[in-house]
Order: sequence, then C-alpha cells, then structure tokens
Amino acid sequence: MKNLVRKLDSVDFLKMDRRTFMKAVGALGATVFLNTYKTEIVSALELEETKLIWLHGSECTGCSISLLNAGNPDIAQALTKLNVNLAYHETLLAQQGIFVDGKLANTSELNSEILLEELIEEGNYILVVEGSIPNGPNGSGKYLMLGNRTFKEILGAAAKNANAIVAVGACAAYGGITSADSDVAKDTDYRGVAFSKKDSKGGMLQELGIDKPVINIPGCPAHPDWVLLTLGAVILGKINIPEDLPDVLDQYGRPKVFYPPDHTVHENCPRRGFYDRGEFDDQVGGEKCLWKLGCKAPYAHADCAIRKWNGSVSMCTQAGGPCIACVEPDFPDMARPLYVEAEDKGVLLGANIDTISKVAVGAAAVTAGVHAVRRMKGE
Amino acid sequence: MVNVTVDPLTRIEGHLRVSTEVNADGVITDAQSSSVIFRGFERILQNQDPRDAGLLTQRICGVCPISHCLTATNALDQLYGVEDQVPKDALVMRNILQGLNFIASHATNIYVLWGPDLANPDYKKVLATLGDTGDAVWKELAGRFAPIGYKIDGVAVPAGTSNMAAIPAKKTLHEAIALIGGRMPGPVTPYPGGYTYKANVGDVVKLSSYYLKVMDFVSNYTLKVPFDTWIENTYQASSPQKAVNFVVEHLQSLVDKSLASNDFSREAGWGDAELFAAFGSELVGETLLGLPASLKLDNIGGYKDPSKICFVSYGGFYGAKDGYDSASPEGERVLTSGVVGGNLEYQKFDPSKITESVAHAFYDDSKGDLHPSKGETIPFTDPEKISYTGGSESRYTWDKAPRYDGIPGEVGPLARMLAAKEPLVTGVAQALNEKEYSAANVYTRVLARIQETAVVAYNLLNWVTNDYDPTGRISVPIDLSAAKNSQGMGLWEAPRGALGHWVSCDGSGKVANYQAVVPTTWNVSPRDAAGVPGPLEQALIGSKINAVQNILGVDYTNPLGIFHTGRSYDPCISCAVHTTDLTGKNAPVTLRIV
Repeated sequence: MKNLVRKLDSVDFLKMDRRTFMKAVGALGATVFLNTYKTEIVSALELEETKLIWLHGSECTGCSISLLNAGNPDIAQALTKLNVNLAYHETLLAQQGIFVDGKLANTSELNSEILLEELIEEGNYILVVEGSIPNGPNGSGKYLMLGNRTFKEILGAAAKNANAIVAVGACAAYGGITSADSDVAKDTDYRGVAFSKKDSKGGMLQELGIDKPVINIPGCPAHPDWVLLTLGAVILGKINIPEDLPDVLDQYGRPKVFYPPDHTVHENCPRRGFYDRGEFDDQVGGEKCLWKLGCKAPYAHADCAIRKWNGSVSMCTQAGGPCIACVEPDFPDMARPLYVEAEDKGVLLGANIDTISKVAVGAAAVTAGVHAVRRMKGE
Repeated sequence: MVNVTVDPLTRIEGHLRVSTEVNADGVITDAQSSSVIFRGFERILQNQDPRDAGLLTQRICGVCPISHCLTATNALDQLYGVEDQVPKDALVMRNILQGLNFIASHATNIYVLWGPDLANPDYKKVLATLGDTGDAVWKELAGRFAPIGYKIDGVAVPAGTSNMAAIPAKKTLHEAIALIGGRMPGPVTPYPGGYTYKANVGDVVKLSSYYLKVMDFVSNYTLKVPFDTWIENTYQASSPQKAVNFVVEHLQSLVDKSLASNDFSREAGWGDAELFAAFGSELVGETLLGLPASLKLDNIGGYKDPSKICFVSYGGFYGAKDGYDSASPEGERVLTSGVVGGNLEYQKFDPSKITESVAHAFYDDSKGDLHPSKGETIPFTDPEKISYTGGSESRYTWDKAPRYDGIPGEVGPLARMLAAKEPLVTGVAQALNEKEYSAANVYTRVLARIQETAVVAYNLLNWVTNDYDPTGRISVPIDLSAAKNSQGMGLWEAPRGALGHWVSCDGSGKVANYQAVVPTTWNVSPRDAAGVPGPLEQALIGSKINAVQNILGVDYTNPLGIFHTGRSYDPCISCAVHTTDLTGKNAPVTLRIV
C-alpha cells in the first residue's frame, strides 16, 4: 500500500489508464487518494484558494443534487481539502438578484448579480456550467433570462475570464435532454457549452466566438466522483490546461479515465454473467440480462458498473432498469426507444445478440481450453 | 411607488423572477411572478414509445424525479389497462421510493433553500433591540441556518450546523433510494404494471437501518420530543384542537424553562422545529406563548381574498385501508385528495375542473382556456415579444395559469395537510383564520412542510417493515398493443404539490399527446384571462417587504418578505415550464376520468 501511495504521488491520475486508476482509487478510497495528491503539493507550497463559479443554465438541478450526494470525498470535505471557495452557486448561496427601480441594489453580500459581476471582474476562477444554453428564439438566447440578461450573454462573460471551464451533466456538455429531437428543438436551439450533441463546432462558446478548452463531465446526472475528481485534478494542477487535454480527453471532451473509449458499462454489469450465457429477461422484475428490455450499456462509455452510484449502493441495471447511455453525446435520442432492444438499429456491428453471446461463450471456452492445455504442459 | 424586483430568486430549483411595486410604507401593492425559461419538454415524447415517459419526464426535475416517474407510470398503468392489476408489493415499493424522496426534498427546502433566510442580516438588527433574549435567538438562527460562504458586514458567518448536517442526511436518503431505485437522481425502477426491482430481505434490513440513521438526524436536530410521542399527539390526535394544545403545551414548557436563562439551544430542548414553531409566528409565539417577540411570519405571504384561492391535492401514496389500490386517485390514498376553499371549506376533487390559461404567458392563446388534456403550447418565437418588464397587464412568463373551477389553487404540503385534515396543520390554520390572519402564510407553509415530513416518515417505516413482502409479486406483464388508441391519466403528489400527467396514443401505439401539469405551475402562475393573480402573486400583494413587519423602517434593498414568501412555496421552475403536447395538428383527447 505504501508503495502504491508513493507511486500515486508522482502520477497524474487523469493520465492513468483506467485499470491502474480503478485499482488505485479502489484500494485507497477517493478521500485518501485526494489527500495523497494534496500532500505532495502542500509540502511545496500552501494550496491557494480556488474560486469556483457554478452557473445554472437550462437544467433540472439534478447534477447539483448529485454532487451533494458525493461520498468519497463528500462535498464539504472536498471543498475544505482542496481549499475551494464555492463563490457562486445559485442553489446554495445566500444572495439573490435585487433590483430597485431597475438598478442593482445592496452589496455582493446580499445581491447575487453584484457578486457575480465582481467575481467575473476579479477573474482567476474555474467556471462550472450545469444545464444547456438556449440560442433561440432566432439566435437571441431569450428562452432563458436571468437578471434581465440572456444566459447566453452571462455564459459568455463568465467564460472569457475563466481559468478553466468544466461542463457538468449531459445538458451542459452536449445539450442533453433539452436538445432531444422534437418539433420545437429548432426554435429552442439548445446548445452545450462546447458541443451540440456530437458536433464539436456547435457549442455555445463557438457561437459566441470564444475559443477556450472545455472539459465535459456528461451523465444524466453526472456522477459526483467524476465531477470532484476532475475538479481536484484541475485545482491541484495535475493536468495542465490546455496542453494535457488532448491526452486525457476523448473526442467528445470527456476524461478518458472515467469514460474509457475501450470500456462500456456492459463489461462489468452485474448481470453480465447472464448475457454471457445468453439468458435474457423479457419482462421487468427479473434478474437476467436486460438487453432485450432495451439496455444500451454496450454503447455507454462509463465506469458506472465498477464505481456504482450513491455510495456504491447500486446502479441502473442492477436495479432492473435498462442503461440509457446518458453519458453519450447524442443521449437521449440514441437510446430511444428506451425499452426496445437496439439490434434492429444495426448496432453491435449489426450482429444478432444471440449469436454474439454464443460467440462470447465459445471464446471463453476456448480460452479456458488453452489454459488447461498450458497447465497440462506445466507452463 | 418603487419597483423592487428579485431576479434571480436563488435557492430554489430553476429560475424565477419576482417583480413588485412597493409603496412608501413598504407594502407590496402589485406583483408579477415570471418563469424565465422555456425548454419545450414533453414535445420530445411525441411520436415515441409511451414507456419512455417514465424515465424521460423525470428529467424535468432533478429534485423530484421520482414524482414525475411515478406520475407517468400511473398514467401508463392506465394506458396499458393494468391499473387495477399492479401487485401490492410494487405499490408499496413505489410508496417507499416516493416517501424517501419527500423527506429528502422537504429537508432540502427547510434547511438549504428556505431556512438560510432566517440568518438574514435584518434579523440580527431586529433581535439586537431585544437585549439578551434577542441575542440568544439570533445566535440560534444564524448558528443553525446560515448558508455556506456567508458574510455579514464583511465578517464571515460559519455555515449553520443544521444546514450542514442536512446535507449528509439527504445523502443517506438518496442512498436508500438508490438501493431500491438504482441511483438518485434518475432512478429507473417504476414501470407500467409494477416495478423492476424486487427488494430482498437484506434490502429491507438496509432500508430500516437507513431509516434509523435519518431519524438520528431528526432527533439530534429537528425535533426534541420523541418522534412517536409527537406523531401520537399530532398526526394521530383525535381533533385539531388537541393537536394544537399538545404542541402549545410542549412549547410553553420550553419557554418557561428558557426565558430566564436565555438558553434556546438544542440541549435545552429547542429542536429546529420547536424553535421555528415558537419564534416564527406572532399568534403562537407572542399571543399564545407570551414571547417578547417573534419573526411574525404568519403576517406575510397570506391571501387577502379567500374567494380567489383554493388548496388542491390530487392525493399521494397508495393506501392500504382496504388493500392497495392503484386505480383510484380519490379513495384510499394515504394523503387523501381534496379541494379546500379559501375559508377552509372542503370539496371533493374533480380532475375535469382543471383548466389552463395562457393569457399572460408567452404562448399563442387563440383558443382560450383549455383542459390540460386538450391544451396547446405554441411558444412565441419572436424575441421582441419576450419581455419581463411590461407589468401586470402584459405577458410576462413562460408559466401557464392552471385554475381549479376557475380559481387559482395553492398546491404543496399545506394544501395536502389541509385536504387530508391532518390535525396539527388544520388546527393551526383554523386558529389563524379565526384571528383574522390568512390560514395560508409563510409560517403555515413551512410548518406544514415540517409536519408532512414527520407524517411521511411515520408511514414510511410502516411500508418498509409491515407492508412490503419480499416474497410477493413485483410486476404484471403489459400487452404493448393495449396502448393503441388508448389514454391514461396519472394523478399524484410531488413534494411540491399536485402533479398530473396525461398521455394518449395513436393507432400505432405511439404517443400522440403528452401533457403534464405540475405543482409550481399552479403556485407561481401568472394572471389568468380574468386578470386574477396566481397564488404567489396574491401572497405577495399586501405583504410587507422587510423583516418583522418593517419594524426597522422601509429598506427596498433587502426585501426579505419577498425572499421568504417566494421560497415558502419551494418553487421548482424546471417543472413549472415543461411545455407540452400538440401543436393543434392532433385531435383532442377524450379522458377517462376515474
């Protein structure tokens, strides 16, 4: 364990491959892990306060609620240990916008609009965005206005002075549910911060002509560990922005360590054994593989099945619901219909799931056979 | 006249703007509440598999996703014609899931959203005029309820102990939800015909231990009377009068003990509920208990004209009186449905009496007021038409104006406790009404939320330990073709109030129309076609804007009366502006009213 800790001291975990990372965090617990990180830095210099501005666009507050569910570390621990000043967060702060005869009133101790203005002016903060940004109607952004300004404008101002930008949740990352196909989607024209669905040129920053790197932490909601560990890495200087980003993020701006390109929820699904044996539930309430009930876990690049949710208590497929691939840039459209199996859409290379699982079983048998032969040979 | 606008009203879910006109005495004479966001939500369900509604509508709101999921599931049970076949244990599981969410959501409002206003700097100033007693009360208010990162006059105020302790308590509740729901937010287990997860004996034991952990929080922070004693003497009291007497006697004994020593700490028996119940109200605190002062929260956020307001509950939690029945919204639900008039007169709830007006919202309204099942949502797409500064005659919100029998309705814990005739809340409301206060006000709204948390917690234990049978059946199969040309209505209660989903399918079994009417739409609704303001607007008009009835004079820059009143409804704007349904191209739907 001691060696592992020492090793971690000198390793940037966002640069780790997923297996090493999982092993490290699994062995130590995330709190110890973060502590270990901090020790190294603090020994050199006292960790300076980091200001965080957390903006809420078109959202359901689910990602903030999820963040408050963080276990290791919990939110209070994380803020303290990382010396984070959560300077602006609409759901938690004391302040609110106050206007008297149209003019900003009181001070930043009570007025959130003045507070935000001052914080942006001072600069030197990390910007977190939760929720998407409407560009509609007609490019005006007026489908969301706060303090009589469009959210589009507020985001632009906050993004310009930010040291780093993190988009939390499916909506902020890619538009999420607000960008789902519908007959009003064209009018609302919802955007993620840096992306619009899979389009890396369709984000709101691009629309505003702001060229800044953005880290996406998608999910509906985002897992609190993904958020806190990423913020931790940024705050502790474990990744340099923008130099390190091409290495640690995938093509959709997600940290590969949490959203591994070569790993899906399916691989460690608690029901995986049933899949391998070709046993599927066709009614809810059973315990077998949910593929035929529409599970999209084979397309969801996330570590949910290892990390699990809410203190590692459970996860969607464990509780009998299909994975809806909420971490993917084209969620929810790619997962709809949610309860219909996906093979008709030509996914899984167009192969039939029954065939695949037979192949999987066959491959396992062959591997076992090889081992058996080796054992016999005394290798 | 001075315009005082709060925008954004933070510490709520979503984005709300409140604009008021205030006279020289600091009394609000006009108000508009504006939901400032348009998302276009249920339109994404159109032409889709109706079963998606459970998981997708819960994305309307991350604070109460379970309510949307269950309301949708109720509508889908009906759509597939299995509403009378859902197995008992599935209904119990749904109750447990919803109950845990109620407690977590209420605790969040009480401690993290509404509560921090008790540490407003003006209370410090007011209480400072009351000598040692005032200082002692301020110490408790700020010490328990201050938000994080808070400063008064440049001096940092540590985050309140109750506020901070509530966050891990909520986390514990969410772990319990995840255990039987997969994760929270975003649980996956409700499904038409039943439930996807069959909790085993081990899960039941874990649920019980989560429950005990949460009750530790309650007994350490919220309520210093033993929980069972409280329930026996309030929720289970034989009359409203008896419930009120019990509480007043309990508070009186605390006051008698503490007034001399000025010790209002938890150690001296003052839980957060006791502290609020005594010091929050003029009637209870000053008139009945003889306290030297109170926050007078029963003087603000009330209704001036009882004929223009009612309290609506669709009924929440499947009941067990004559066996569990998922089919009936009226009958045997644990929190019964009902409509209570402005003067506390009771009526039976009739869902066909709900209409929605968009006369003051940014939607086309050429067809006048419509029942939700026939509602239209055609948003303005001209940016010039979206303005929040045009006053009460203008269009100023994305929120529609639901009305019950033509009258604005308040929904939420207070409406539910009144409709269910919960003795304590009913008794306090009646007492206030008799003394010329509005029965509904900031004090009763928060008191009802506290009491409902206790009521739900009491029932929750029963569902977990008595009603749920781990060997029982958890779902019945549904026939997907039954959705063809079928309709469903789901009526349910979210923590914030009455929630209804309406679904209808076409001949191919795809969604032709999906409509949701949600709690905050009722509470923060704008004026209707007749110009009658919505509940929050009515509650603001006539209220004083500053602390303790403007005792320090008028200060337009710290309109605490608006903060308190707005947050007392626990608004959820993501829910309120969800928007729905057809663009007029689909035929109106015939509802099956059960």
